[in-house]
Amino acid sequence: MPTMTLTQTLVMGLLQCVAVLILIFVMVPLLTFAERKVIGYIQVRLGATRTAGGLVGITGALNRGMWAMGKLPVLSILRGLPVFIADILKLILKEDIIPAKAERSVFTLAPIISVMAAFGVFSAIAFFPGVLFTFPAKFPIVGGLPFMGFISDVNVGVLYILGLSSVGVYGIVLGAWASNSKYPLLGGLRSAAQIISYEVPLTLSLLTPVVLAGSLNFKDLSIRLSTGADMHWLGAIPLFVGFLVYTTCGFAETNRTPFDLPEAETELVAGFHTEYSGMKFGFFYLAEYTNMIVVSCFASAFFLGGYYLLPFGLQRLIPASVPFLGQPSILFFFLKVFAILFLFLWVRATLPRYRYDQLMDVGWKWLIPLTLVNLFVAGLIRYAF
Amino acid sequence: MFKNEEMEINLGPQHPSTHGVLRVKLRLDGETVTKCTPVIGYLHRGVEKICENKTFFQGQVWTDRMDYVASISNNLGWAEGVEKLFGIETPRRARYIRTMLTEQNRLASHLLWLATHALDIGAMTVFLYAFREREYLLDLFEAFCGARLTTTAFRIGGLREDLPPGFIKNAQAFQDRFLACIDEYEELLTENRIWKKRTVGVAKLNAEDCIALGVTGPVLRAAGVPYDIRKAFPSAAYAEMDFEIPTRTEADTYARYLVRLAEMRQSHRIIQQCIDGLPEGPVMAKIPKILKSEVNEVYHPIEAPKGELGYYFVAEKGGTMPYRMHVRAPSFVNLQALPKMTEGRLLADVIAAIGTLDVVLGEIDR
Amino acid sequence: MAEPIEPQAPAAPEAPAGPYVYDHAAAPFRQVVMPKTVPLPSFRTYTAEVAAAAAADEAKWQKQLADFEVAKTKAETEGKDAPKPPVRAVPRKDDNDMKTPWPVAATDADLLKLQELLGDSVEECFEQAGERVCQVKKEAILEALRVCREEPSLKYEMLADQSATHYPAAKDFAFSIVYHLTSVSRSKRLRLRILVPEGFIPESACDLYPSANWMEREIYDMLGIRFANHPDMTRILCPEDWEGYPLRKEYPTVGWGQRDIDFRDDRGGVLNRLAMEKAGQLGINLKQPKAD
Repeated sequence: MPTMTLTQTLVMGLLQCVAVLILIFVMVPLLTFAERKVIGYIQVRLGATRTAGGLVGITGALNRGMWAMGKLPVLSILRGLPVFIADILKLILKEDIIPAKAERSVFTLAPIISVMAAFGVFSAIAFFPGVLFTFPAKFPIVGGLPFMGFISDVNVGVLYILGLSSVGVYGIVLGAWASNSKYPLLGGLRSAAQIISYEVPLTLSLLTPVVLAGSLNFKDLSIRLSTGADMHWLGAIPLFVGFLVYTTCGFAETNRTPFDLPEAETELVAGFHTEYSGMKFGFFYLAEYTNMIVVSCFASAFFLGGYYLLPFGLQRLIPASVPFLGQPSILFFFLKVFAILFLFLWVRATLPRYRYDQLMDVGWKWLIPLTLVNLFVAGLIRYAF
Repeated sequence: MFKNEEMEINLGPQHPSTHGVLRVKLRLDGETVTKCTPVIGYLHRGVEKICENKTFFQGQVWTDRMDYVASISNNLGWAEGVEKLFGIETPRRARYIRTMLTEQNRLASHLLWLATHALDIGAMTVFLYAFREREYLLDLFEAFCGARLTTTAFRIGGLREDLPPGFIKNAQAFQDRFLACIDEYEELLTENRIWKKRTVGVAKLNAEDCIALGVTGPVLRAAGVPYDIRKAFPSAAYAEMDFEIPTRTEADTYARYLVRLAEMRQSHRIIQQCIDGLPEGPVMAKIPKILKSEVNEVYHPIEAPKGELGYYFVAEKGGTMPYRMHVRAPSFVNLQALPKMTEGRLLADVIAAIGTLDVVLGEIDR
Repeated sequence: MAEPIEPQAPAAPEAPAGPYVYDHAAAPFRQVVMPKTVPLPSFRTYTAEVAAAAAADEAKWQKQLADFEVAKTKAETEGKDAPKPPVRAVPRKDDNDMKTPWPVAATDADLLKLQELLGDSVEECFEQAGERVCQVKKEAILEALRVCREEPSLKYEMLADQSATHYPAAKDFAFSIVYHLTSVSRSKRLRLRILVPEGFIPESACDLYPSANWMEREIYDMLGIRFANHPDMTRILCPEDWEGYPLRKEYPTVGWGQRDIDFRDDRGGVLNRLAMEKAGQLGINLKQPKAD
């Protein structure tokens, strides 16, 4: 890698950040669209159909043309896709109401904290361990420089990510408190208790791969876990248990069903964001879905093999000389991310919601002891072999 | 510096899970309910006063608007109550068709209950599965009387029309696939660990309390009392039907869920018997165009999906309108049990309790 | 049964001046029509009525016979043809499926038992349309309910319904309160009835049957009968500050919220504007009428 000047470093950093932001802003709306369609499919209905499903306008012309040719309109498969644009427009254009009795500054600050914490995490996530492509030499400043698959290669990346994602709960609690209303207050209390309780097993379950592979660097850890370098094959067992616990806690951390108590709509109307509207609500929404993506990236990188095809050290069965399957690829990474995201949606459509005390029971009485034992086993394996 | 304070919140009248305009004043200590006071009357339309100024034929229209998810049951209560008042004997075919439609309506009502109750507890998908079957039933009602919800299905003395052509075929098509549908709901819920955690032991109400508070219907049967008006005081063609009264002894939300599902199977059985044994003959008794009553008072109870639905009529001599009409609405009486079920429990259990009581506010407020 | 009195319709409240005058003559449907009779089912009244009708019928027949005799002798004296002998009128039989359920004397074991246990407190027992009715003295209702609930051979465990009716035309009472008891174990029903005058405060059944709580509140709300020893005697369906008791017979069914203006003639919208202004002053919510 050629040494870069300060300008080059800054510009490259900016470009990387913009790329990740674009990624988030494309994935979140697509995720909402996928949510409509997947849950719709599970619930024997169609999901969103109105936009681009009709017979008027540009898409309508296409639809009519295909219909006239005796073919099923291609757009009919993706009917309702443009609805995510409408969603965003609605959120931006809606009146932004701040209740009269609300604490104005905190009320405004809270969604920003949430969304910043969610976005900040991405700076340490590596989507690909190496160079994605190199800029051609004719580009003014960045010519000849490599475009990496990550923003920064932090050597304690996992710690950084865990620390930053815990900040997100402040947004929820502060927003709930600042609303000066009863339902958000209850939602905020629930949320604080829930996220703090589940932070512990979440962190403990992430320690399992760290102990097994002996690294805190995001991409190193991921590569070591999937290729099984420096890890005994028995390590797959605590890793698998860790995966189950991590996914469970990830559902709780992102306030998704069956742990969506902070915003349990049948109990607390909308929980902590009851009083929010417009883009402030949009920020909470964005933060939730971004967190889902973060959790999926983590699960993908540490437990499902990350950039390689096979997880749990099984990748060593495929030699590195095999052209596509043996090599790391960004495709494999995102494939697993999407699989976990699909799991989020699937679970939402299937499971009922826990009660508050039961949620605490699951967290403290089951998950924490389980992860502790798991961590002990992982340490034993690491020490013995 | 620190002090303990109880928080008072209003659950409703506009709230996603109070099924209408029920308002529950809750006093919360953290998440624990210390006091629960249902406040009703937001949908009060004075149906009893209105029916005092409508003839016996016109009044039935108002019964649709009470329990609007089980309007055929309400129609049955009104029609049979008035028939009892005048001593009218309904033809056997009419009674069979009434029984069939009432049971189909019970299915529709229980399906709606299952849908909303599961949604309250967080299971989204059952909602749409149950609505799929309910739509079919509502289409059947539409075929029979032209309306899906406000049916006014019956006339005093029988039915206005016989069944439309094709009705039996469509009803049979529903019969053929409905049991598999119940299995589908059960697959999603009955053994679901979270569902059981949320419902087992929640909102208990034992048999003595049920009887003392006048609670009837599936809630009473889930407490182990086999009291079903279809068996105890049979009307329509229920005396000729072969069915069982499903009961449980746990008296909690889960038991009520199982009882209602078992009741759906029994209703399915009754409908099948009605289809198979539908007698031939007229559907309307010979009655005068204008009914003039004698001095009389009757109380006619039927088993509505929610419990005992009673119509109390007082008639004057030569009157064409009831002198006094009173509805004993099952939801009204059952809702009294809500404080007993929820006090000392958690906020989330209030939602489960409201769902398991299966209240309809149109009937409570009248 | 007591002689019916002529109940007075409540005086029309003073109409607000303006384009929507409350004119009773123009809108007769707005007038409260008070009932003239006391439709209180009772075996005693029924037998008395039947006996009176039979006596009247007999008297009429006797008069017809006497008239015939007179006419016959007159015709004989005048030498004319004898008139036709009268035929006793047979009550016309309607060709329909109605069998009016008349009250019959009490034969049911439960009613006889109640009569035996309560003694003088029972005013009347009879059966009608297959339903058992027992009317007790208004002071003894709690005792009657206790007997029904606790006597092992009766065991009416559940108070299914409680309701009341307003009889403005009755002389010595104003309301009847009925208690529909159900014996869940024996599948039997019983109606207890008391007659109370205006202002009387009957005992609440809440201690014996907790289900009476809301039903008595509803009776209070709708008919204005208060109950003694009730835990929470407040309105339940109407707002706390509601005036009047809607299910009393003198309560009007049409209120002030409607207009007497034919807006179809009001092309310029002048009357409409005036009405809206007036309504605004009076605090009445007038909806914009729809054009036909």
